[in-house]
Amino acid sequence: MNGSARFGQCSLVVKGGCWDLNDVIEITLRSIYVSGLATLLSLSISVPSAYYLSRNSRVARVIIPVFEALIGIPTVFIGLVLYMLLSIRGPLGFLKLLYTPYAIIIGESILIFPLITAIIYRVMHNTWVTYGELAMTLGADEKQTLMLIAKHALPGIIAASIMGFSRAIGELGIALLVGGNIKGYTRVLTTALALEVSKGSFEEALTLGLILIVTVLSFSVLSRIIERWYGL
Amino acid sequence: MGYKTILILLLILLSISMIVLFTNKFSMTCESIRVRVATTTSLYATGLLDYLADKFVDRIKEKYGCNTILAFMPLGSGEALRRAKNGDACLVLVHAPSLEKEYISKGVLTDGHIFAYNYFIIVGPKDDPANVSHSSNVIEAFRKIYLAGELGKAKFISRGDRSGTNVRELMIWNLTGLNPKGKPWYIETGSGMGETLLVANEFKAYTLSDIGTFLKFKSKGRIPNLVILYSNDTELINIYSVYMVSTCSGIEKSIANSFIKFLTGDAQELIAKYGIHEYGQPLFYPAKGKSEWLSKIWSMLASG
Repeated sequence: MNGSARFGQCSLVVKGGCWDLNDVIEITLRSIYVSGLATLLSLSISVPSAYYLSRNSRVARVIIPVFEALIGIPTVFIGLVLYMLLSIRGPLGFLKLLYTPYAIIIGESILIFPLITAIIYRVMHNTWVTYGELAMTLGADEKQTLMLIAKHALPGIIAASIMGFSRAIGELGIALLVGGNIKGYTRVLTTALALEVSKGSFEEALTLGLILIVTVLSFSVLSRIIERWYGL
Repeated sequence: MGYKTILILLLILLSISMIVLFTNKFSMTCESIRVRVATTTSLYATGLLDYLADKFVDRIKEKYGCNTILAFMPLGSGEALRRAKNGDACLVLVHAPSLEKEYISKGVLTDGHIFAYNYFIIVGPKDDPANVSHSSNVIEAFRKIYLAGELGKAKFISRGDRSGTNVRELMIWNLTGLNPKGKPWYIETGSGMGETLLVANEFKAYTLSDIGTFLKFKSKGRIPNLVILYSNDTELINIYSVYMVSTCSGIEKSIANSFIKFLTGDAQELIAKYGIHEYGQPLFYPAKGKSEWLSKIWSMLASG
């Protein structure tokens, strides 16, 4: 890490923009790490919740519309609430999580929780209606039914994770407010992009945007390949 | 049975994420110290702070170990001071004397030093429909913009975000005795200086800008429609100060202290030279040797 693009080495020159390649790689990896962990964290709560909801349609009828409405919640709003909680003067200030990558991870996992829960619920619900009841009447026990549903819902879960990951890596408000866009520590692709725009360096900003899109696309393609591989 | 399996799966997933989370947190080869610095955008976006921070970190490496990070948070001056009040920053670098005074009296800020200054400029379209370039002082310039605005010949773009630049703009409007708020030609962007200059460029409108951001955008060819129309080295002076936040403590405070010493000492020469190579003129002027003059102007600005 050798300063910002302007003072570091120009190891990558894109359309007249000057880049320190190490910085770009580091920011990209950090983005993947932060959003990937946020997706995992969110999944670990979403999958059980979705399974529970698919078996309790009366609860689901109330909760799922709420979750679906929350999919579009502004990221800045979550960021602000989390900032107020994590601020030194706030109720969770003693954790000293503000302006760390962990704050971004927590915020992003809250952001994508309604999205992936709603999608996984739909998939599980359909699987339950199509196979679950049939399996039960054919004498399968609870465990076997669960396994059946899990197996048939897996492509849906993977698709939901990719959507969640994409939403997390592409959001700006949370990363900016609770991450602070600190160079070499909490700077991720979207916050770096916003900074380049505010500096007037549009070429650099465009390149970062392209890197973001390529990253998301390659994760999506990768998941499809894995699905094929295992014949799901 | 099913719920138990789910519960176990959940616990495994949760623990994996926790392990990854925390091994990463504690596996650093040595303890890293972060000094949280809330800063005005103009200092950061020009690249000056990163440049100074690199020099500073090189210097204190031996004393504090390998991982000292000056964590800059580029915000408007108003927002930077608000975060300082919440205890979420250790140092603040700002340029809004009247706001600074308010926070000093609240006991949030201590140990203030002026470390640099430059100028605000009135920029606008080349053909200058309001005839701002022939003003004898800044109040007259703003009055001309108001008049041209009322006649439908000009627009004015305001930051509208309580940043140092915005505070100064409102102060000047106050001195003219005119109130542009709510007028159709007075547009508030609520965004940073760079974005505001882009808006002014699109609308061929007037705006108040700091010289650093303007030169940076001009040299990149982003704002071809805008030129400097009015500048004045007494009325439009822009003073940058550094403050310690009173809630800051421990090792963070001692590093912050040495950064203040660096800024007011050895960094002065670096500030004077910064940007000359790229823009043909310095973006900031060091405060060294002019502290009396600057603090006099500062207190004048602080009392409005």
